[in-house]
Amino acid sequence: MKTLFRPAPLALTVAALMSAGCANTTSPDAADSQPATKASVVEHYADIAHAGYEDALITAKALNKATDRLISDPTEANMKAAKEAWLAARVPYQQTEVFRFGNAIVDDWEGQLNAWPLDEGLIDYVQADDYQYELGNAGATANIIGSNSINVGGETLDVTNLTPELLANLNEIGGSEANVATGYHAIEFLLWGQDLQGFEPGNGERPVTDYATGVDCTNGNCERRGEFLDAVTDLLVSDLEWMAAQWAPNASENYRSQLMNADANEGVQKMLFGMGSLSLGELAGERMKVALEANSYEDEHDCFSDNTHNSHYYNGQGIQNVYTGNYRRVDGSLVSGPSLSDLVAQSNPELDARLNAQLEASMNALGMMKAKAESSQNPMPFDMMIAPGNAKGAKIVNGAIMALVEQTGSIEQAARQLGLEALSPDDAGHSF
Amino acid sequence: MTRLTLTFLLASSVAASPLMAAPANTVDRQTAEYRKQWHSDILTGYQNLATQGQTLANQAAGYCQAPSPEGFEQTKQAWLEAFLAWQEVRFVDFGPVEQGNRAWQFQFWPDPKNLVARKASYLLKDEAQITPEKVSESGVAVQGFPMAEYLLYDQAFANGEEALPAGRSCKLLVAVTRHIADNGQSLANDWQGFQSNYLGSDQYTDTTIRSAMAGLEILEERRLATPMGLRGNGKRSVYSADAWRSGASLAAMGASVQGIKQSFLPAFSKLLTDRKQSDLAEHIAQQFDEVLANFPEVDRPMAPLLADDNGYKLLQSLYIDLTQLTSLVNDRAAVELGVVRGFNSSDGD
Repeated sequence: MKTLFRPAPLALTVAALMSAGCANTTSPDAADSQPATKASVVEHYADIAHAGYEDALITAKALNKATDRLISDPTEANMKAAKEAWLAARVPYQQTEVFRFGNAIVDDWEGQLNAWPLDEGLIDYVQADDYQYELGNAGATANIIGSNSINVGGETLDVTNLTPELLANLNEIGGSEANVATGYHAIEFLLWGQDLQGFEPGNGERPVTDYATGVDCTNGNCERRGEFLDAVTDLLVSDLEWMAAQWAPNASENYRSQLMNADANEGVQKMLFGMGSLSLGELAGERMKVALEANSYEDEHDCFSDNTHNSHYYNGQGIQNVYTGNYRRVDGSLVSGPSLSDLVAQSNPELDARLNAQLEASMNALGMMKAKAESSQNPMPFDMMIAPGNAKGAKIVNGAIMALVEQTGSIEQAARQLGLEALSPDDAGHSF
Repeated sequence: MTRLTLTFLLASSVAASPLMAAPANTVDRQTAEYRKQWHSDILTGYQNLATQGQTLANQAAGYCQAPSPEGFEQTKQAWLEAFLAWQEVRFVDFGPVEQGNRAWQFQFWPDPKNLVARKASYLLKDEAQITPEKVSESGVAVQGFPMAEYLLYDQAFANGEEALPAGRSCKLLVAVTRHIADNGQSLANDWQGFQSNYLGSDQYTDTTIRSAMAGLEILEERRLATPMGLRGNGKRSVYSADAWRSGASLAAMGASVQGIKQSFLPAFSKLLTDRKQSDLAEHIAQQFDEVLANFPEVDRPMAPLLADDNGYKLLQSLYIDLTQLTSLVNDRAAVELGVVRGFNSSDGD
């Protein structure tokens, strides 16, 4: 989802006198022997981002292949393989969300890939009596797959040819953020279908025959549904190619080069800001606390597939990656280098130890959520955890929330420890 | 979108802040003096909320016992007064209001997916008795002003079979308004009990200032700029304002500004004056009045103002005044006092 709230309430900026001279001195190799510097830490941060987006791209390409197979040969096995490819693609992508906050280039781009919640009735058929869409959304029931032209808020659009460009242009049509025709969650809906189970076990139950040809086609428009799925997975791949290139080393005109040419304090600030914002406001607050306190499965993140626990778990992992400088790639290899942890330990080992322990504790709490959701006996996915009166589920979710809240306190301290604390009044919102 | 009413107490919001670090002991004693006044001013607001909540619950119970058109209007009026009493103290985001998510219990907002309507329909169709216990375990979307507002004001609901004073709807209204009244009473009591803790800890000076800063920011950004279409996708939408069903969005904003002026500004002005910032204190006090001067003219439903360019000008004028106030408090005063803001729950998207 795009940020509604442009002037960030917290703007950590940099004390003016901080080390300006260390911006362009490192090579990653030097890190093993030399103490970490802000510049080497920022450079390694870019390495982790690059590896993360490459992994997201690799797994998205696999997903694209799997959905192509499903479209040309709609069997149960191919449906299952496509779903598995989707689940695998979420693992690296969710770890990259920590790059969103603080790096505007990511935040401005990510809506097309990960916007949520979405009003799925824009895309395909839904069961109307159990479909609650965003208030005032004129496109909530447009059903692009079911029509060659749609009318949203008085505007008529030709949607005969379902191309990646068309779908990208349809995002937020009619001015509603819930009108999302692209990205992981659109694909998720096309594979799983609407989750009609509420707080009960089970997720979406889209039949594979929704992609069948001829008389076997269920729910109509199977060919167009396949075209939609084809276009939306192609778009995901090209979007990720673009972002991976932004973080690639040895390019002169990409985002990474800008980041490396800027004051290293700015990069460190982005790292901490991203960790803190994802940890507290987004993951603990919006994605868990709201869903829990309102018992709202509409606020569940991966609601069609019931994969929310993994979405949360790998968000948490992304936060830990940025602090420790370690990222486990999808091929099993480890990306490791100079880290924020090294920097903090240089001047305050006690704080570093505490923050590392807290990150570990929040991963344990999220791990508990994941284990319970995937348990072979009586699994309890996130939408059951948040059901009214489920004290056991609430305890698991609250445990994760509290752990994230605690680590955010130490992230703030780490920012102060590294000399990044002055309040910067941001007037982006005061443009009169 | 993040609900800013959610605030976490960062247990480790440590590090001596400039206000606490001020050298002389006299300053420590003085910051306790400011907190003494804040405590008393906020208590007045909480007690008013408790009283108005009680009136609302009594009014609703009376109406449902013997329904009449007059009783219905009186219940709506009582809802509005209690809701405005909540708006006046809504900025306080620390202390007893954090227990059990009371702030959300009073007002779950924003609610883009219309959870309130969904929960109401679920409860009204359900076979189970509607009891206080049922309301207590049904989540924050059921427990507060928006649910009572839905039952009293929602147009589609009013035209349906379950419209008040239908039996189950009345039971729900009575149970929800009782929940609001009880919460108001416990909040006022707990705030009194919180006194020694609050006065004894210097950290609460910064906390209190930050709560007013956040309250102003929410007013400007979430409650006004967003429905005006000045944020995000640029679309004007009354649904992103609060209290759109009752048309009380703007009245609620006025009450919140008034509440910050009554419960926060007196001690804050004194603090600024003691720090040799009396000009700034004066300037801020004037700007509160500038904002409030938009009322009562702008005190009307927001939807028609968003639909009409002349009406929209009224909103623009309020927005400009509010922006200036926010900037004086959140930027200038905060910088003078060295109040540093940490991560808060609005840092998501």
